[in-house]
Amino acid sequence: MSGLSYTDEERELAATARSFLTSFVDNGYLNAQSETERGYEAGCWQRICELGWTGVHLPGRVGGSDGSLVDAALICREVGRAAFASPLLQTLRAGTVLTTLRSDKQHDDLLAAMVQGTPAVLLSPPDRTLVGELADGALRLRGGACLVEWYAASESVVLLVPGSDGAWWCAVVPRPMLDRYATDVASIDNERVSRLELDGLTVPGDVVRAASVSSRSARYALARADLLRASAMVGGAQEVVERTARYALERHQFGQPIGGFQAVRHHLARMVIAADGAELLCDDALHRAETDADERAIAAAALFAAGRSYTEVVLTAAQIFGGVGTTVEHVLHHHFRRAKAMQLRSGRRANRLRELHQSLVVERAARPSSLW
Amino acid sequence: LTTRDPDENLTALPMSGGHRVQSVIGAEQLTFLGQLRDYLDALDPALLEATRAENIADPMQPREHGRRFLRQLARDGWLGVSWPTEYGGQGRSEIEHWLFAEELYNRRLPNGLLTLNVIGPTLMLMGSPEQKAQYLPQIIKGDLVFAIGYSEPDAGSDLASLRTRAVRDGDDYVVNGQKVWTTGASVATHCWLAARTGTPEDRHRGVSLFIVPMDAPGIEVTPIVTQGGERTTAVFFDDVRIPASQRIVAENDGWSAIVCALNFERLFYHNEPRWELEQLAQWAEAEDLLSGDGAEAHALQERMGELAVDVEICRLFALRGASLLAKGAVPVAEASANKVWWGELRQRICNSGLDLIGEAGTLAHGSPYAPAHGHLEHGLQSSPVWRFGGGTNEIQLDLIARHRLGMPR
Repeated sequence: MSGLSYTDEERELAATARSFLTSFVDNGYLNAQSETERGYEAGCWQRICELGWTGVHLPGRVGGSDGSLVDAALICREVGRAAFASPLLQTLRAGTVLTTLRSDKQHDDLLAAMVQGTPAVLLSPPDRTLVGELADGALRLRGGACLVEWYAASESVVLLVPGSDGAWWCAVVPRPMLDRYATDVASIDNERVSRLELDGLTVPGDVVRAASVSSRSARYALARADLLRASAMVGGAQEVVERTARYALERHQFGQPIGGFQAVRHHLARMVIAADGAELLCDDALHRAETDADERAIAAAALFAAGRSYTEVVLTAAQIFGGVGTTVEHVLHHHFRRAKAMQLRSGRRANRLRELHQSLVVERAARPSSLW
Repeated sequence: LTTRDPDENLTALPMSGGHRVQSVIGAEQLTFLGQLRDYLDALDPALLEATRAENIADPMQPREHGRRFLRQLARDGWLGVSWPTEYGGQGRSEIEHWLFAEELYNRRLPNGLLTLNVIGPTLMLMGSPEQKAQYLPQIIKGDLVFAIGYSEPDAGSDLASLRTRAVRDGDDYVVNGQKVWTTGASVATHCWLAARTGTPEDRHRGVSLFIVPMDAPGIEVTPIVTQGGERTTAVFFDDVRIPASQRIVAENDGWSAIVCALNFERLFYHNEPRWELEQLAQWAEAEDLLSGDGAEAHALQERMGELAVDVEICRLFALRGASLLAKGAVPVAEASANKVWWGELRQRICNSGLDLIGEAGTLAHGSPYAPAHGHLEHGLQSSPVWRFGGGTNEIQLDLIARHRLGMPR
């Protein structure tokens, strides 16, 4: 932890999560889960729900822990550290979007189910390649195929897509309604992914509980959900830095630990800088106390930096580990795959950077709430 | 389908969820920043403009206007934000001091440089009561300017091999030798001088640290002009007598004061990258690329987007250092990371900014046609020192690997 601004309770939550995950997750466990039909263990998922993780950020009225996004993000950070795959991140993202957009209890049944352990997923293609439009009282979808992690394990799909008139649509679709458009596909990492072809699909409004939301609200809700993925990537990067440093002290060549070679030390220091930068930005975004566009801009910056740093860190780690790191006998291979996969789930780099340019460079000057 | 916009609910839901937030920058700090901005806005515009121009041309040497500006700040009680009240400061935290530095750098105004941010705090930690009484009140009045006398022709990164000698003679030391890259020595009132009091074999255990007035007999300053136009100097010491009372910490223990001062130095890099990126943005706006939709505009937006993210990280590396200082900790690897990120980012902004500008980027600063007022071109010329000054970035990377990850030397 950057140590800048966490409370004792938050530290305790993170420590508990780490101790739970490290008690059973290692490379052998991750490899074994990857080979299973479901991709994750039912008993383990039940334990996670008993620990309250799926509802850590949800209101008490649905059985949640009344925690904050920070709490959810700290759990995601530990999950990222462990390279642990499950529907947790998706369920937390879906819950975050719903609670951010709605406070009128319309989705309380769904949120309560999440707390009890029913996975949900968020479907919101990062490059906005799926759009919705109103057609005879129904929501019609247009666009190319999209990828959704843990779709097959979920019961509900929280759909958040732009409309044709500048507003966005938020809809909760029962997963079985979409099954005939979905195909399970192999992902490069240990998360499970389905490919959905929804172009032309019309879903009746009364069934899917759709609502129009402003672009500002939708993007804000997505920014909060994305911070959870950013936090998971930060955790992954931190874990890889620490593991690589341990290896550099254990591995001897030319009669000394390879960490004694300046070229290796400099690689390691660059990894520290990359991981620290991502952590600081993620924590800064999580602790923003004002709701405004600047907050969203910093969250988007945090998401970008987390993906860039996690990828940079695993690429350098692979160089320091050499052949050992490339085998499936070493946990680095999970981080290596997850880093790029998680980064790419934020969409095309060029699109994200142009959005960041717009929010951090073009709009910032006119925004009194930003410090500089 | 419902079409109610739930925007009104959003205003009550900040990113953090609205509870248990421990923001490093609280209401008190924001009030402070507001007061500082009001104060700076109300200063004489002619003084501000002259100081800014002087500072942009050569930031390491507060000359006529910079000195006037700093004395004005001192008179109005704005120097020494985080200095204890017993030394005439405002007694605020390091967070406010960080805000102060960021704000001044953002306006390209000097903030007291090494003297106020490095020598002062080091004296507070390591100076004798007499030395604190002698120097701190003058520093906080803006009356003193220190130059740093570490490097020598044959002692750069390997500072522990320095050869300038200080020999004890009664109540004095007699100094002979040469320093180089002593930036600011031509305008300084004092030199923060590292000299050998032990044998060469003692390495860093044979070095002592002195404060030497620049008008002491036997000191000769030779200017060195750099490619960016900044001036640095070589300083020659010929039988210069220094009272033993001007030695900081014990004889042969000066290395501890050097390390302390360097850690402060590596934390005082701030908002310049943001300012340089803004220069690029202003150029891009005039060229219709800032919000344009063509291929060139997209290429620029993509590049600037990433640089803008890096500027935010730069802000947070500095804030992390300030937060550690505020807690009473001494940042080491954190100071090094700050310095590495800041220098490389600044150079990257200038270099890739010129790439975006193209051939017109060859116009030298000073030309009315120079894009971005020539600031990026000037910045690139000045940029080498950002990566090797204050300890080379290679040494910083080693410090990070050793202090954070426990790597052997």
